[in-house]
Amino acid sequence: MTLGRRIAGRVLSGALVLLAAITLAFLSVHVAPGDIVDIIVGDQIPAPEVEAAIRAEWGLDRPLIVQYLSYLGRVLQGDFGRSYMLQTDVFPLLTGQLLPTLKLTAAAFVVAVVFAVVTALLTAHRPIGGRIMGGLELFLVSTPSFWLGIVLLYVFSFTLKIFPVAGDRSFSALVLPALALGLSLGAVVAQVLRQSLERALEEPFALTVRSWGAGEGTLRLRHALRHAAIPSVTLAGWLIGGLLGGAVITEQVFGRPGLGRVTVDAVLSKDIPVVLAVAIFSSAIYVTLSTAVDLLCLALDPRIRTGGR
Amino acid sequence: MPRRRDLLKLFPAAALLAVGGRAFAAPAKGGTITFGIESEPTTLNPHLNGQAKARVILRNLYDTLLARDAQGGFVPWLAEGYEVSSDGLVYDFTLRPGIRFHDGVPLDAAALAATFEAVRDVAYAPSLAEGPAAAIAAVEATGPLVLRITLSRPYAPFLGFAAGLEILSPAAYASDQLKAGGPAVAGTGPFILDAYAKGQEIRLRRNPDYQWAPADAAHQGPALLEGATFRFLGESAVRIGALSSGQVDVIEGISGNDVSLFRDVPGFSYARALNTGTPYTLFLNAQHGPTADLAVRKALFAALDIDGVLASVYRGERQRAWGISGPTEADFYDASIERSFAFDPAEANRLLDGAGWTARDADGFRTKDGKRLSIEVVQSQATVRDQRDVLLLALQAQARQNAGILLDLQYVDLGTYSARRKGGDYGSIPNSRTPANDGLDIEYHYLPIDRGGSINYARINDPEVVEWLAAAAATQDTATRKALYAQVQDLAIRQKAYALPLYVPEDQIAAGAHVQGLGFRPYLAQPDSLHSVWLDEGARI
Repeated sequence: MTLGRRIAGRVLSGALVLLAAITLAFLSVHVAPGDIVDIIVGDQIPAPEVEAAIRAEWGLDRPLIVQYLSYLGRVLQGDFGRSYMLQTDVFPLLTGQLLPTLKLTAAAFVVAVVFAVVTALLTAHRPIGGRIMGGLELFLVSTPSFWLGIVLLYVFSFTLKIFPVAGDRSFSALVLPALALGLSLGAVVAQVLRQSLERALEEPFALTVRSWGAGEGTLRLRHALRHAAIPSVTLAGWLIGGLLGGAVITEQVFGRPGLGRVTVDAVLSKDIPVVLAVAIFSSAIYVTLSTAVDLLCLALDPRIRTGGR
Repeated sequence: MPRRRDLLKLFPAAALLAVGGRAFAAPAKGGTITFGIESEPTTLNPHLNGQAKARVILRNLYDTLLARDAQGGFVPWLAEGYEVSSDGLVYDFTLRPGIRFHDGVPLDAAALAATFEAVRDVAYAPSLAEGPAAAIAAVEATGPLVLRITLSRPYAPFLGFAAGLEILSPAAYASDQLKAGGPAVAGTGPFILDAYAKGQEIRLRRNPDYQWAPADAAHQGPALLEGATFRFLGESAVRIGALSSGQVDVIEGISGNDVSLFRDVPGFSYARALNTGTPYTLFLNAQHGPTADLAVRKALFAALDIDGVLASVYRGERQRAWGISGPTEADFYDASIERSFAFDPAEANRLLDGAGWTARDADGFRTKDGKRLSIEVVQSQATVRDQRDVLLLALQAQARQNAGILLDLQYVDLGTYSARRKGGDYGSIPNSRTPANDGLDIEYHYLPIDRGGSINYARINDPEVVEWLAAAAATQDTATRKALYAQVQDLAIRQKAYALPLYVPEDQIAAGAHVQGLGFRPYLAQPDSLHSVWLDEGARI
């Protein structure tokens, strides 16, 4: 019963966060300076009747609260409106761009997790390896993914010609962007994971496992890792936010389709329907995944499950 | 054939190869190319797309009534000919027979009328309907192939607009793809839209029925290439690397620092063309802040060593601008403005002393009545390209060092920009507007804001300028118009220092040596369509 209520509570609070995100996004884009009519008309100065026609076409002539409520109503029916700038319906636009971004973030997530787990397992409590990998991690954490992307392209695409320069037409086109995006985030997780792994290896249970005659590999992989994983799994929520944010830059560098480029263009040109829809999409993804992470923590650690008793 | 001569001049590599005998090979048919471009079009509807950079694609899909020659004259294209009545009110365009849109609809006068009717509709294309199309009073087909357009007042820039307007199939205006563009928004161009992967690429295939190239085109008949792919590579370094490593065949948008990788390098060709239209210019707000004072504007003119800054920022790869239009505009550019003012820090300081900006604050900036001599330079982030931010930083340093003027650089989003522009809340707006459109850009910049000067950033309200521009719009005589525009130029730049031209924007193209026939459109100098491009496989490296 407690567990069921916990899950329901998590889902409900997720929905509330989502509603808050929509409301905040709606208010902030309308508070931001600039008249949409001027942006739509571009270089021209509209005659009053033209301005009225444009306001009526986009529903901008109604009070803000009416616009807000009707927007909420339409969003619930899956209608996100039409982009001022791209002159196209927002929902198909974003769903079309969502898949490439999800592919990129998923691949980068795998890169980050594999990098973190492998380096932490191999180098925890190993002075030389730990120091070398620690240095590498510091380098990756402090490297802008923009620069890392250019360097990867220069080496593996322009010079060695192993991977294509850009686009999203094949799996090989995903490799470099996923590395550029995933490595720096993975380095952060690796540092956290190594620390908690080292702590776990000093726990009394590690001595017990060793005394059973289990090998070092078994100890690290089967016993210590599960103990050490909790802080890193919590960090995964942060990681997803970082991946979604970093995707903007990575998509730009690698000429990939995706939400990131659409978002930047929309924000710069005050394309309100797109900005709002992106805010809703990304908060929905974020809320869903962080809820999933919380539930995963429940599954991983019985202490959390029982409320810390 | 000025066209061919220009191409050889533009492509020194091609000229060298010609000596070696290669370029005399007959153009081969077939093959496809990949073109790495900087900007993805916001829409593929050419009437709604305002990006000069999108023309490199759209030019392949859509034709216009008349092409332009190098002097700005009009050349038959979809229209065999045109006539303008002596009062400048009635324009008759006679279509070439046998033209079909990509959707199979024949182009006759009734089909042509659909496009001119559409651009008058505010709900369809507000910036055209409120702009050049506003002069149209009536559109009627007076014969199967003759369209008559009647204006409400004589308006000389209309011919350039009508000649350059992309003609769409009448079926397009009923399509749900109309605003975003797509295969249903059919044109008559040498290529047909094949596939569009948003954020990634646009693929075109040859139009096999194409028999209506401009009268001065390098060849008639269908395009030589089977198809072309335009890939969106926003990062300059990525475009450069993609071309160097042979992953694309052509790129555009090459920064001054990278030119040496391709120019005069075996295996590559490099070409550039200066844009027509309004150069990248610092427009100084004559109604707000310190720049309302003529002495301050003139002092800024004298305080900036523009030649020196351009040489260091662009390594000499950008040309200094002097006038209200581009130096390559054969019909309207008046070169007497060149070197009519000079870099003179002593003069700048003398002017500022005389204007009462005599004190200095702790940072070395001039002050008057305790207020710092600060000019807010407001630019929309979306228009920052071609290292313009670096250029402005260099000018900022000059203004401070040479005259104690603070150029307060502010990069803002489009919403903030349009609000501040509308309210006149800025000291200066730097911008360019390319390509030229027959004097329209001059009207937009220099007419009073409430009389058509929609981008009059300097907020000039000068009755003489209004009179000159009205006279220029009312005459068909190019020499008269040029003289009137020259008067506007002299007043706006030399006498009143409203606008400080910085450099001439340009297009650059670099390509593998196997890509032949690339070039720029005469007069407007934007990348031309790929109609005459062909692959010389023997030259591929």
